[in-house]
Amino acid sequence: MADTLAATPPRRRRQLFWPSFALPGVGWLLALFVLPIYAVGAVTFGGVDPVLRTPQPQWNPLHWDFSTLSDVLSRVFTGDLQNVFLRTFAFVGLALLGCCLIGYPVAYFVARKAHRSRSSLLALLVLPFWISYLMRMMAWVNLLQPDGYVNRILHFLHLQGPPHNWLNGDWPTVVIGLVYGYVPFFILPLYATLERLDGRLLEAGRDLGASAFQTFRSVTLPLSVPGLMAASVITVLPMFGDYYTNTYLSQGSPKTQMIGNQIDQYLHQSSQPRTGTALVLILMAMLSVLMVYYVYTTLKQQREALR
Amino acid sequence: MSTSRRDFLARSAQLGVLLGAGVPLLQACGSKSGSSGGKVDPIADGLKPEKGPLKLFNYADYVNPDVIKAFESKYGVKVEITTFDSDSEAITKLANGAVKVDVHHSASPATVGRLIEGKLLRKLNKTYIPNFTNVLDAFTSPSYDPGSMFTVPYTIFSTGIGYRADRIDAATVEAKGWDLLWDPKYKGQVEIIDDYREGLALAMLHKGLNDVKDLNTSDKAVLEQAGKDLASLVGLVNVKVTIDGYKDIPEGTVTVAQCWNADMLTATGYLPSGVDASVIGYWYPKDDIGVVNSDCMGVMANATNPVLAHLYLDFMLDKANAELNFQTNYYLPAVKGLDADYLISKGYVPENLRNAVLSADQQKKGVPFLTLPEATDTLWQDTWSKFTAGG
Amino acid sequence: MRLFRNAQGKARWLLVITWLYVLWSLAPVLLAVRISFNAGKSRSSFQPLSWKWYWGDPDRSVLHDPALQHAMVNSLKLAALTMLVTVPLGTAMAIGLHRWRGKMSTASNTLMLFPIITPEVVFGVALFMVFTQVYTNVPMGFPAQLLGHITFTMSFVVVIIRGRLTAIGGQYEEAARDLGATRVQAVRLVLVPLLGPAIFASLMVVFATSIDDFVISSWLSTSAADETVPIKIYSAAKATATPSLNALATLMLLFTLVAVGLAGFALRAMNRRGGEDAGAAGGLASLSG
Repeated sequence: MADTLAATPPRRRRQLFWPSFALPGVGWLLALFVLPIYAVGAVTFGGVDPVLRTPQPQWNPLHWDFSTLSDVLSRVFTGDLQNVFLRTFAFVGLALLGCCLIGYPVAYFVARKAHRSRSSLLALLVLPFWISYLMRMMAWVNLLQPDGYVNRILHFLHLQGPPHNWLNGDWPTVVIGLVYGYVPFFILPLYATLERLDGRLLEAGRDLGASAFQTFRSVTLPLSVPGLMAASVITVLPMFGDYYTNTYLSQGSPKTQMIGNQIDQYLHQSSQPRTGTALVLILMAMLSVLMVYYVYTTLKQQREALR
Repeated sequence: MSTSRRDFLARSAQLGVLLGAGVPLLQACGSKSGSSGGKVDPIADGLKPEKGPLKLFNYADYVNPDVIKAFESKYGVKVEITTFDSDSEAITKLANGAVKVDVHHSASPATVGRLIEGKLLRKLNKTYIPNFTNVLDAFTSPSYDPGSMFTVPYTIFSTGIGYRADRIDAATVEAKGWDLLWDPKYKGQVEIIDDYREGLALAMLHKGLNDVKDLNTSDKAVLEQAGKDLASLVGLVNVKVTIDGYKDIPEGTVTVAQCWNADMLTATGYLPSGVDASVIGYWYPKDDIGVVNSDCMGVMANATNPVLAHLYLDFMLDKANAELNFQTNYYLPAVKGLDADYLISKGYVPENLRNAVLSADQQKKGVPFLTLPEATDTLWQDTWSKFTAGG
Repeated sequence: MRLFRNAQGKARWLLVITWLYVLWSLAPVLLAVRISFNAGKSRSSFQPLSWKWYWGDPDRSVLHDPALQHAMVNSLKLAALTMLVTVPLGTAMAIGLHRWRGKMSTASNTLMLFPIITPEVVFGVALFMVFTQVYTNVPMGFPAQLLGHITFTMSFVVVIIRGRLTAIGGQYEEAARDLGATRVQAVRLVLVPLLGPAIFASLMVVFATSIDDFVISSWLSTSAADETVPIKIYSAAKATATPSLNALATLMLLFTLVAVGLAGFALRAMNRRGGEDAGAAGGLASLSG
């Protein structure tokens, strides 16, 4: 290393100094992030061994065969996979709504209204972040057993007669599970935005005679849109790929299957790996707008921070 | 600007060259296949066993550790077991070379055909397997491997219904048969096996077979009907698709479950304390026409210890070893002499689960799932996927 | 709108919602922890306290069930090794990206952000394909899981360290250069010590992230031998699992919270400017001395 540096002219050496720090990481990501994603494409657009049904990826884009992708696309838009996509959108949409309804008031309170208790509340909001997702789901499974505390409480409050089996493929169980799982990821980015809101703007609104509600609607809410967007993107993206929450909370009922379950099934239990990878590509394509939005805003923030 | 435009272009060109060089390299890596370098011809007679270690590929906990120890000390070698979770996972790993072993311990009939055609298995030399004479008559020349050229059966199992005998009496079960799974009375307490062949075959059996060949059909109409019948389970009984019947029936969370016979024997070990094994029942069609599969052992074409591998197969077909294995996994070894009377007399199987041990007639009339042509297989899987996606 | 009119003073309903949420988010976990101390087998109700599922039960306690123990060791090993590789790699990348200007830098920076938002199932499938089709000499199981974990945690490190680099600015390094330090010396003696707390925080964050990961570990696992704790929790979720599963999860929770607690401590120390100046001063002093 020292030798090669000594042999390079000083100006070039200076140019290479900072890149050389970044290159190992960049190389790593090329080899273990970019290439793997490319491999998903190469498998989808490649062939399959007729006997062993193992994928025969086609690495050369000039020889790609798009028939599997178009088959799967037509199944998604008009065929048997339509259901599962619609259900996934419905679950994610409802869960996002739940996240907003719970997350916004909480983030707003902690950021703007909690003064003395702010730091301890913040710690409590961050805590679920660090508790294993599956442990939190396991906790719900413990609670939702037919003889579990949820049924006992409902019975005690006379809201329900005989115990209900919540883990039986009920969509509300899954949606609530998703909200429970992802709402901590929603609250934190929103909190960061709300906390930075300029208090003088809110005061100005009040001084101009607006009621608290009017101030909230015409000042606070519009100003928190970037935070809401960031929070939504960061929660929605993983939710679309989720397949374990519903499996875990509805224990194998076909009624709550999401896209991720179909991907899992095609890649683990079938001899059609290309259908599985095609579903991955379709999922990625659907989410690409959100992903690009996130990257774009993050880069913008970085530039502003440097200014 | 410190980096000139030309500089940038030059560098991207270099990168392009690197990427270009990388593609053929990748192709070279990617095309590597597990079958390469393997030999399909049987090994010569009278060879000395290798020094090992003998590598096995098997489901977890599917063989008695004491039997493995006995084999190790008999031949002075070490045995290493790599495990897999599903049949398709196993063949995928063997095919792409992710796993290199001497013995495939448990291939189902549906994949045996592919393993043979894909030249992953080596023809057996039976002179090393004198215990082959112990194999049950119905399995000495099975339909999936005529003449047992490539495989010997390790275990055999039937697909039937496991149920709570304390909630449904045997006469009702006998009268209703497969209809039991479609009975709204048991809504929320019904399970079927999470496997596309088992699931669709269940629907076909429920509808009534015109011909046992239907269980391996490539008829689109039959499959579509089966898919519809399965889908009706969602609304009728809110079916679950799992392989947990062996736990859920004894725990009581499920009342009727499509399951393998061995599951109900395993279930006796999962009963809550104070509950008797008599609460568990197993039903298999009375005419003995149903699904009977086996898990088969074969020597890999690229085995580095082929002689030792043969000796291992022989060791597993020894009656005493087979009996020990049964005590571990409750799967019936395909070895003569381990019939229901014997197993019950030994106390391994409770009398009320006699039906969970395959009778000679069931062995003979049972139909295995065979390897399907690619297009047919795809049709089966897509039909199943439609069902698991919620109908 | 009476409630809103109150907002300037005490937003009582917001307070109620917030505390209800906190209760909702944490109570189930506390109940799950409590169940791990059950003396009996129930996973749905409280029973008298005992250590049975930690070490009391001779077969199924965490201490005596080899499968549970194996999963725990796997998880810890994976998290520790991931942390040791990812953090240096990510720190260097953050420093490099922060100072390096140009199109390639922007491209690298953009690339770095994508792993953060790629749904895990996509990540898992992609890695699964690359290890079965391209890097076939990397065995599936632990080695592949390790590489996978390093990949998906690296960007977190870059983000944490970059945030810190932006906060410290360039003046300390410039001072070091004025004192005659080479660029390597400036990085080693001034920048890295200044980044100390952020590096420590990254170590802990990576540890906690890796230990909690289910999807990537599961896609790259091939057999019971490379099960981690989250995989174990996922696959043994059904009714027959004993509270030993809760005990296992509780232990992992403890490990994570200790790691995160330490990270929080480091970050807090880092935010006290006094400490930072002292650290930088020390670095500069060693240069001039």
